[in-house]
Amino acid sequence: MPDDVILNKEHLKSFLRKIAKERELIAPVKNRHGDTLFEVVSSVDDVTFDLETRPVVSPKSFFLPPTETLFHYQRKEGKYLFKEVLPKLSRVFFGLRSCDLWAILFLDVVFQEDFKDLYYLNRRQDTILINVGCREPMKNCFCKSAKSGPFLTQGYDLQFTDLGDRFFVEIGRPRGRELVEKWDYFFRPATNKDRDEQYEIVLEAESKFERIVDFDTAISRFMNNEVDDALWEELGDRCQGCGGCAYVCPTCYCFDMVDRPISDSEGERVRIHDACTLAGFTRLAGGHNPRHERSRRVRRRFYHKLPFAQERYHRPSCVGCGRCVEICFGRVDMIHFIRMVCERPEKSSQASLRLGEILLDAGLLSAEGLKIALEKQAGTGKPLGTQLVEDGLITTEEIVSALGLQLGMPGTPETGGVIGR
Amino acid sequence: MHRVLTTCCFCACGCNLYLEVKNGKVVGVIPSRQHPIARGNLCLKGWNGFEFVHHKDRLKYPLIRKNGRLVEATWNEALELVAQRLSQIKERHGGQSLGVLSSGKCSNEENYLLMKFARAVLKTNNVDHCARLCHSPTVVGLGNAFGSGAMTNSISELARAKVILVTGSNTTEQHPQIARFIFDALARGSKLIVVDPRRIRLSKFAHIYLQPRLGTDVIWLNGMMKIILDEGLLDDAFIKMRTENFRAFSEHLRKFDLEQVEAVSGIAVEDLRRAARMYASVKRAMIIYSMGITQHICGTDNVQSIANMAMLTGHVEQECTGVGPLRGQNNVQGACDMGALPGTLPGYQSIADEGIRRKFEKTWKTDLPLAPGLTEIGMFHGTGDKKVRGMFIMGENPAMSHPDLRATRRALAALEFLAVSDIFLTETAQFADVVLPAASFAEKDGTFTSTERRIQRVRKAISPIGKSNPDWQIICELSARMNYPMHYESPAEIMEEIALLTPIYGGIYYDRLEHGWGLFWPCPNRDHPGTPFLHKGSFVRGKGRFDCISYRPPEETPDDQYPFYLTTGRIYAHWHTGSMSRRVTALSRERPEAFVEINPRDAKRLGVANRDTVRVTSRRGEITLKARLTDDVPEKTVFISFHFAEAPANILTHDRCDPGVGIPEFKVCAVRLEGVK
Ligand code: SF4
Ligand code: SF4
Repeated sequence: MPDDVILNKEHLKSFLRKIAKERELIAPVKNRHGDTLFEVVSSVDDVTFDLETRPVVSPKSFFLPPTETLFHYQRKEGKYLFKEVLPKLSRVFFGLRSCDLWAILFLDVVFQEDFKDLYYLNRRQDTILINVGCREPMKNCFCKSAKSGPFLTQGYDLQFTDLGDRFFVEIGRPRGRELVEKWDYFFRPATNKDRDEQYEIVLEAESKFERIVDFDTAISRFMNNEVDDALWEELGDRCQGCGGCAYVCPTCYCFDMVDRPISDSEGERVRIHDACTLAGFTRLAGGHNPRHERSRRVRRRFYHKLPFAQERYHRPSCVGCGRCVEICFGRVDMIHFIRMVCERPEKSSQASLRLGEILLDAGLLSAEGLKIALEKQAGTGKPLGTQLVEDGLITTEEIVSALGLQLGMPGTPETGGVIGR
Repeated sequence: MHRVLTTCCFCACGCNLYLEVKNGKVVGVIPSRQHPIARGNLCLKGWNGFEFVHHKDRLKYPLIRKNGRLVEATWNEALELVAQRLSQIKERHGGQSLGVLSSGKCSNEENYLLMKFARAVLKTNNVDHCARLCHSPTVVGLGNAFGSGAMTNSISELARAKVILVTGSNTTEQHPQIARFIFDALARGSKLIVVDPRRIRLSKFAHIYLQPRLGTDVIWLNGMMKIILDEGLLDDAFIKMRTENFRAFSEHLRKFDLEQVEAVSGIAVEDLRRAARMYASVKRAMIIYSMGITQHICGTDNVQSIANMAMLTGHVEQECTGVGPLRGQNNVQGACDMGALPGTLPGYQSIADEGIRRKFEKTWKTDLPLAPGLTEIGMFHGTGDKKVRGMFIMGENPAMSHPDLRATRRALAALEFLAVSDIFLTETAQFADVVLPAASFAEKDGTFTSTERRIQRVRKAISPIGKSNPDWQIICELSARMNYPMHYESPAEIMEEIALLTPIYGGIYYDRLEHGWGLFWPCPNRDHPGTPFLHKGSFVRGKGRFDCISYRPPEETPDDQYPFYLTTGRIYAHWHTGSMSRRVTALSRERPEAFVEINPRDAKRLGVANRDTVRVTSRRGEITLKARLTDDVPEKTVFISFHFAEAPANILTHDRCDPGVGIPEFKVCAVRLEGVK
């Protein structure tokens, strides 16, 4: 069997039908309300596969469900009895987008680097991943900038490319090859003409992105502590603490563990999805919260997604799927964030002077006070805002109120989601 | 695993979401992306709130009080007892000695049935629900001015308004999805004016932020209108053609002294002038308001002042232009629409109208009571022949949500008979003689009407927990035991009856709600597409009416003994009396305990540090809770949310109401603070 083959479109359902007999088939399906979700497909005839739209939530929930029971406990005659609930699943995903597939590979690393998470791995180990490369990126996709799409060069079991009347199928990992070999009668070898066609399509798709996002600059500014405090304040004010960004993100993996009693003598230990933008995420017993202000939590979120992941995994953990961009209540998403970091003047003496001017204008600071703070700042190297607050010359709220008017919202006219009727 | 599309059970934004069901349990939610309000995301409550559905405290069987304790009973025993005791009281003292509380949390169909049960079976007009505590001034005030007491426009129109004035609504916390549309508008260059005694989050994005003292809304609104009048920024043509009583109103305004504004409300006239110009000078402007406007003894005056201002500038009757009272509960709009109010039948049809009453009597095949009904607050305060002796409460928790809780709880304890149907043993249910376990939103079919008048489906995802039953079935069962059988095979059949009797719901049928995202009332017939914005071409009442409003100070203001203003409200992570949200891990973790917000300067004077325990005392009682220092509240003002049973804010509030509509003044009273060592 060669490394690339052709599947005529009329054979797609037949091929999927065969697979679905052997394992759970999961694919993006448009439901009768018009929403596209990853669904377990029990019959390939009854569904409308939707390979054009990014499903509302990422495939993550199939490996790390929003609520997952780890074990049951029961107290009997003073003793505890435990019963583990370990999943064991054979699955195949068809129609993953490249970014989502890449994200699964990222989670694979996270869930076995220090500690092998059996709950995750038992769901993952016998899962086959088939992506369909994106010929038409959606409006807010930026996988090209994130280097995780629109087509992959590795990591998939099979990668499909839509050539109009047929799919060009690249064989990646061994399990993909097994599938093709087992039902080889649906496939024919690819010709050079097919290959050329596919190559053109990949090139064309790459040229279609509306969103180009400069990860490198953002990460380096972040690492060099060049991001202005005022930017964090603004993002903190705009975040509404819904948790949505983490819940829909294909690579966010934080969870919380809780014991849930069912009755007085038994219960379950469950893990539930969690989000770092929530106050409860970092609050310590006793009530102290090292990241009390939302701005600190937002900062932490982007820190984890960008510099932290860069250092640890040599790439940001953002795969550019664009989900957070569409759903955030206040545009505290990856695209807006990176743009703000890249476009705003660097934190420098010049930025300090600008802040000083704004505060003088707003009548919140005396010229004398500014002079003292600037002198001090030269020694401490702290941002001017911090210096002023520490010296009791102004409150954070006052700075924010002065800046709020000056900075406004970033200049992107399009809204996130669909504007309602 | 399967997924069921339904409507969120928390706030009235009305997000649609999929409940994910595995082995008969709800294990997750997915927001709908196509839904015009959810747009692929939910607030923290929407994402996590479903957890209460399977909480171990859910009521799983009926309870009857025996020897002072609530013990397990069968449905038959419980329902028989309720039927018998209610009948007894009715025979001895008449229908008006019974009271019924319906619920903004239950479906339209359930509210309709309970309202019908009260009037047709118990023969009382004493039926009310929590709208009394939140938007009764809106129903009456906007009713007086425009002819309809609901949001004039749909939510998504906000994104295209040129100026948005938000007052008395902490929109980012209480109506997150509506705030999202405000952010959309800002990104398109719209202007935002925020007027609120607390520096709410939205104020940070306001082009103009004004901070009035508590309870001085009529003053700044009149001031703003006077400026508009003086500067000729009014819409003459609109006023002439579409409104009445303007001459008297403008005379009234001319006499208003602008000097008063700063003295009473603390807002500088020049700032108000900027706001007036900003609001009046564009074509499309919307006013968004909520409890901060309504929960005052002058709530109706506040609402009518807002209506006056919208009419003065011609800011009604068009797309993206109007007045938006934001309703709180998921279906409080629907509960009002269904006539769970003492004075109106479904669709705001007056019970005093002979013809209307006939229509209902003919369909229901029984006589309807004539005696005017009591409000929710009134039911707890009556004496003599106004005394309510027996009550049926569905899904409400007055023992937490009513003002002056000591008095309320005394009244609950003094009832001869109380039946409560709810999903948890709430503070109110603990007073009951019979407790009926109800099914939650995930366990039943029905419809909710969101704040924008959008009627949407609620779909059953799992079977009722334990032996619980949906409220509509409970009411049918009870009614049958009181010689008035109600046979409905499903909520869809109930909606058919609603459509028949309620002109604004005349075209609402379940099959029409299956496709698209619900229908906006008024929707008078099957072919009607629904009405996203009201008053197109002319006001529902014909001409919009200006009313002359004068300022009345709050009932209780600080003095030497009680030197602080107390204002109460809600916070993002919790829901009303906390019976649901405090049982959700992510929500209770977010805000685990009660707190009082104090300005740091006041705290310093009191010698109180962040997280210190503080005792807050009013003339009604005292509570102790943690201090939370923040500049968001002005000096001499503290804020407490009413979610926490261990420190209920409503121990402190007073029960004096707006005389016309009976809304208590939750937003202002006077308290004293001291640190507790
Ligand atoms: S989606 Fe936006 S609003 Fe929601 S938590 Fe994330 S950053 Fe905050
Ligand atoms: S905004 Fe309201 S309707 Fe939407 S998820 Fe939150 S509580 Fe539910």
